[in-house]
Amino acid sequence: MLGAYLPILLLVIVAVGFGLCSLVFSSLIGPKKISALKLSPYESGCEPVGTARERFSIKFYLIAMLFILFDIEAVFLYPWAILYKKLGVFGLVEMGLFIVILFVGYIYVWKKGALEWE
Amino acid sequence: MHVLTEYPILTILIFLPLAGCLLLLPVWNCRVSARPIALGVALLELALSVWLYVSRQDLPGVQTKLPGYLLSQDAPWIPSFGIRYTLGLDGISLLMVMLTAFTFCMALLVSWNSIKEKTGLFLTLMLTMEAGIMGVFLALDLALFYLFWEVMLIPMFFMIGIWGHGRKIYSTIKFFLFTMFGSLLMLLAIIFLHLLHAQQTGLATFGLHDLLKTQLPADTQLWLFAAFFLAFAIKFPLFPLHTWLPDAHTDAPTAGSVVLAGLLLKTGSYGLIRFGYPLFPQAAQALTPLFYTLALISIIYASLVAFAQEDMKRLIAYSSIGHMGYVAIGIAAWQPVALSGSILQMASHGVTTGALFCLVGMLDERAHTREIAAFGGLWGNIPKYSFFFLLFSLASLGLPGLNNFVGEFLVLTGTMKKSPLVAALAFVGIVLTLIYTVRLVQEVLFQKERQPLPLADLSLREICILAAFAAVAVWMGIHPAPLLDLVHAPVQLLTGGGL
Amino acid sequence: MDMISIPVVNMTPILPEIFLSVLAMVLLLLNVFSPSGKKSYLAYISFIGIAATAVLVGAGWGGHIESFSGAVILDNFATFFKMIFLLAAGLTVLISDQYMEREECNHGELYPLILFTVVGMMLMASGTDLMTIFLGLEVMSVSLYVLAGFNRNNKKSNEAGLKYFLLGAFSTGFLLYGMALTYGATGTTRVYKIASVVGQMTLPSANIMLLAGMLLMMTGFAFKIAAAPFHMWTPDVYEGAPTPMTAFMSAGPKAAGFAALLRILLVALPTLQIEWSQLLWVLAVLTMTVGNITALRQDNIKRMLAYSSIAHAGYALVGLVAGNGTGTAGILFYMLSYAFMNIGAFAIIILVSKKGETNGNVMDFAGLGFKRPLLAVAMTIFLFSLAGMPPTAGFIGKFYLFSGAVQKGYIWLAVIGVLNSAASVYYYLRVMVYMYMKEPTEEFEWTQVTAPVALALIISVAGSMIPGIVPSFILEFAQQAVKLI
Repeated sequence: MLGAYLPILLLVIVAVGFGLCSLVFSSLIGPKKISALKLSPYESGCEPVGTARERFSIKFYLIAMLFILFDIEAVFLYPWAILYKKLGVFGLVEMGLFIVILFVGYIYVWKKGALEWE
Repeated sequence: MHVLTEYPILTILIFLPLAGCLLLLPVWNCRVSARPIALGVALLELALSVWLYVSRQDLPGVQTKLPGYLLSQDAPWIPSFGIRYTLGLDGISLLMVMLTAFTFCMALLVSWNSIKEKTGLFLTLMLTMEAGIMGVFLALDLALFYLFWEVMLIPMFFMIGIWGHGRKIYSTIKFFLFTMFGSLLMLLAIIFLHLLHAQQTGLATFGLHDLLKTQLPADTQLWLFAAFFLAFAIKFPLFPLHTWLPDAHTDAPTAGSVVLAGLLLKTGSYGLIRFGYPLFPQAAQALTPLFYTLALISIIYASLVAFAQEDMKRLIAYSSIGHMGYVAIGIAAWQPVALSGSILQMASHGVTTGALFCLVGMLDERAHTREIAAFGGLWGNIPKYSFFFLLFSLASLGLPGLNNFVGEFLVLTGTMKKSPLVAALAFVGIVLTLIYTVRLVQEVLFQKERQPLPLADLSLREICILAAFAAVAVWMGIHPAPLLDLVHAPVQLLTGGGL
Repeated sequence: MDMISIPVVNMTPILPEIFLSVLAMVLLLLNVFSPSGKKSYLAYISFIGIAATAVLVGAGWGGHIESFSGAVILDNFATFFKMIFLLAAGLTVLISDQYMEREECNHGELYPLILFTVVGMMLMASGTDLMTIFLGLEVMSVSLYVLAGFNRNNKKSNEAGLKYFLLGAFSTGFLLYGMALTYGATGTTRVYKIASVVGQMTLPSANIMLLAGMLLMMTGFAFKIAAAPFHMWTPDVYEGAPTPMTAFMSAGPKAAGFAALLRILLVALPTLQIEWSQLLWVLAVLTMTVGNITALRQDNIKRMLAYSSIAHAGYALVGLVAGNGTGTAGILFYMLSYAFMNIGAFAIIILVSKKGETNGNVMDFAGLGFKRPLLAVAMTIFLFSLAGMPPTAGFIGKFYLFSGAVQKGYIWLAVIGVLNSAASVYYYLRVMVYMYMKEPTEEFEWTQVTAPVALALIISVAGSMIPGIVPSFILEFAQQAVKLI
């Protein structure tokens, strides 16, 4: 029965191969202008070296939390969309209720000012 | 039909004081008008109980369900548990009801002037306690009995704690915890008995007269009796469990001491007579030697300790333990004469010790001390007071012609038939009682004055109180026959002699 | 195209939950759209909503409807517990406004959160599927974590919220693992099906996976009902949380934990009764003893009541050990009366304490008896009821629970319980000693009693006294409620 896993094996080979190829060819062909900043291990605006107890602004957490909340809810839409026709009106109504509840949360968050950065 | 049977007179006896509490609410802060209301209610109770006594011959008497009872009442209360509101009045309860009504009148009178603060609360607590104690003496349903048994504790807790002196908080908590500890185990025993009965007969009941028919294996009986015995022995109090009593008595206000000594201790002995022995006869018999021993130790130990006391109130408290020891011996003998003696002794002790606590309270109000060493030569100073003091001291040591003699005499006579050794040892106790009482009288009344204490003699109110006590004491001492008749029938029934 | 056939779903069993959820969302929006300031009207609306839900729940008494293919049920058991939750929530809402105003944390989110907690608890009581019960538990817990830390300006409240969250999440792990193992052993999460599968096993007590599942689920619930040795969070959380929320937590979620535990143990795993009752025996004894003995030494009254609440969970566990009709009905009765007396006691604590949760010591009750006689009398009734003195509801409850234990032959358990409640009298008396027998140490202004608080106190006093004097009608309900399980 292992034959059934062949496509997966192929996928893994292609994925790993593509990744390897890009790394190898870009290091071979690409121009290199090395600077200290570029060589630092992580470059999203944070100091790479320093105290680990550095404080983040609470706003990041808030945004991250809200993102996860609404993002996860979107996941539920996929299976519904796939089965949309089979579920019929019932599904539409249920999903409508779901969205309304989500919307209540959205309004609450908005009015509370959680979406404003400043 | 007697007029008394047309009304639920037993319920009225219990709930009249509670109704009196409601009457007190409008005059909560007005001492002058609250006191007469409370006293009026107490007098009404007394009148009711005396009326019951006077017309006892006309009451329905022996009924099929409750043999030996003069009056009874029965109604469902918590049907899902089989708890009923069953009350019954027989000779023993009638005597106790009279004692209760009388003692509360006296206690209210003696605290007439001494309770100056929070009078409304004080009177409410007194009346609630009266209701609770009446209930204890009348209840024939074990769950109902337990209810009243606990209810009477609560007012006493507050009374000692709020109006007491000395280490009042320590004493009142100790008192409460001791009693609570015993009674909770009794509750468990009650539940167990109830379930056992339900298992055997299919009838869920807490009624005493149904539970009497439960078949109990010997070891179960022993355990259950032990639980009941513990609860009652703490109230009694018997020797190793007595330590709450001297503290509570000493630190309680006078009215509290009177009620404690006069009534609360009696609930222990009453419970043993009414519930403990009849429910578990074999176990009771098996434990009789232990009971005798504890009672004897109580008598002798308490008398010895009483001799060493400096504080008059504490001395009387210890003397209470000793006197209750005789009650205990009479019950342990479980023999008609001794048991009658015990019951009579319960009433006598209530009267005598109540009066003595009143006397000490009066002295305390005047001199603000209860140290024996502070007094002396009162006989010449305040003769009326001294007269009563001497009278009740003599009653307490069992002078023939006064109340305590009858009870103690009967107890010892009855016990002599069953176990002469115990009776002989108990006589030693009487001698010891004599010694400490004579010492008290000698030091306080007749010795030379140790320090000049300008003391006023008794007021009219105080004379009334003491005269009432004295009248009862003399009556019980000279002519106890009617009271003995009263308890004769139930005692015969209890001890298995038949009617 | 073939349509997926949608099963006919009977919404009746979860109507109260739906109603309360909608109400909570409406309140959430009302709160953000109304100008800042007084939030009292939210309390009033919640109270009316809770009352209306109670009517809705009450109308379902006597019914027996299974719905969502056996995941949710409407039966008397659920109805009785839902009434307890609504009662606890209603009383909490009444006492919250004044307190939150005083502590300057009167955020409108409080009321929706309370309502969501109730929704969660209701799901726990009516859930007949492990997943439904878990869902309810999570809805309840997540809302409670926030409520415990609701007073953001108070460090202790923050601590309470965080501690409750961490230990709550930890216990949820146990619970979920237990549920997973049970599913693994039986192949279903429906409690009734578990019962039949376990019933058909040849030797269920030798099925390690099932036993482990049961054990882990019991551990999870033991955390929620604060049974020793899983009680460590309780004192800190109860002390730190805003007092009305402490009152709520001690009455509602504890009852909810018992509801779910009863449902799972008695409906799904009755075949293993010998096993779980032995475990619970130990748990009950530990819980009672640890709670009472530790409470003896507490000066902070909230902490004292926290330990006392641990002890009370122990008493209720005695009924579960018995596992018979009397014992389980006793739990229902006890939880109901406990809600009255405990929330009442916390209401008095709110009135005695001052801003910033100061004045929370037993000593601060000194002199209350004569300065505020009515409050003191109410407190006395609550304390006597907690101590189990007749004629209060607490007495009848303990009477019921211990009767159940004696009936099943657990005499020693009953003896230990009784001795424990004798010991507990001491710390309740201590409060009374301060109220009536000590003079106040300092003069301070007493908090005014507002109308909602007064109403809550009246309800609590009535609820602590009336079932003690005429318990029959509530006992009937409780007995009816456990008949089906």
